[in-house]
Amino acid sequence: MSDSFSIEGARIFARIHTGIPVLGDFLITETLVVQWIVMAVITFLCIFLTRHLSVTKISKRQAIAELLVDTANKFVRNNTGGGHKFDKLIPFVAALFATSVLSNLISLIGLRSPTADLSVEAAWAIVVFVMITKAKIKASGVLGYLKGFTTPIFIMTPFNILSEIATPVSMACRHFGNILSGLVIDGLIYWALGLASSALLGLIPGVVGRFLSNIPILEVGVPAITGVYFDWFSGCMQAFIFCMLTVMYIANAAEG
Amino acid sequence: METQSLVTIVPWTFIATILNLFIQMWLIKKFLFKPINNILEKRQTMTDQEITDARAAKEEADGLKQQYESSIADAQMKATEIVQNAQKEAQVRADGIVAAAQTEAADLKSKAEADITQEKKKAINEVKNEIGGLAMDIAGKVVEKEIHEEDHKKLIDDFINNVGDAS
Repeated sequence: MSDSFSIEGARIFARIHTGIPVLGDFLITETLVVQWIVMAVITFLCIFLTRHLSVTKISKRQAIAELLVDTANKFVRNNTGGGHKFDKLIPFVAALFATSVLSNLISLIGLRSPTADLSVEAAWAIVVFVMITKAKIKASGVLGYLKGFTTPIFIMTPFNILSEIATPVSMACRHFGNILSGLVIDGLIYWALGLASSALLGLIPGVVGRFLSNIPILEVGVPAITGVYFDWFSGCMQAFIFCMLTVMYIANAAEG
Repeated sequence: METQSLVTIVPWTFIATILNLFIQMWLIKKFLFKPINNILEKRQTMTDQEITDARAAKEEADGLKQQYESSIADAQMKATEIVQNAQKEAQVRADGIVAAAQTEAADLKSKAEADITQEKKKAINEVKNEIGGLAMDIAGKVVEKEIHEEDHKKLIDDFINNVGDAS
């Protein structure tokens, strides 16, 4: 057992040299690979759930698929004040939620969550920010949008710009921080439990003790309980909050 | 193995994530929302159709019910009429029979009365003849003289008639 605890960023599997100035080298990181796995799982699930659809006497699979679609529809419609005005958003929000939740939970099977990489949340937040801005411009025109920054008085302009930028930044950092903290705490718990079981079993004298102290027996059980909060709850909650904010910001923006 | 720093934004990962998000959106739309919404819509149409059909069937049934009810009422009315007619006819016929019987009875009575009268007359005549004969015999014996029957017949008859009328 190591005596020091450290946590590192996503591993880089390969580095493709591009020579493009700002963007730099294309890194095949753990984040990207796991993201592809997540996408494959979601897509497979979608295809699996919608096989052999029928109008009557539906199968359990179809019931689940219908429930998912219905939930997504209701989620977007209820948070935009009812009506079908924002139905175009539904697949986007569904994709965002599915990717987010699965990315958060995939750490349960030992893979590194793609959401523990700020690049991912930043990308999502930027997309949402663009959509919010687009909705605002659509609602009040380019001039109206720009004029909106000077309200209620001209002096407020820098603060308005700041609060506009704060939206995606806070969204990205909130999600990232929660997942990363979960990762860190899980790591800490495993590390601490490993040390503890090593110390405990090391009390047994002789060869038996030396052998047993290598088995981190305490690591079984306890992380499952802490994981309920740090992985399951936090993971689902953050995905939910991110999508909720997305829908609400866009709906508010569209109202002008 | 090389790792990226813990908190950083890698440009290519950033771009790839945006693309992945939209690809994922398209995939979910294609493989989940489109087929499911399709099915939901179909089911909606089917349900609407069934409701419309049910309504039409109900209306038809209501119409038929009304028709049946009116025809049953008609039939009842007709039946009542028939019974009434039959009763009337029966009454008329019964009255006729009674009247005929009464007439016949009256006829029989009058005939019987006529017979009785005739018999009575006949009896009276016989008695008259008898009394006439007897009277002549008695008178003959009384006067010892033969009364000429033809001469005195008229006299005797008058006498008897007077007796008959007086009796």
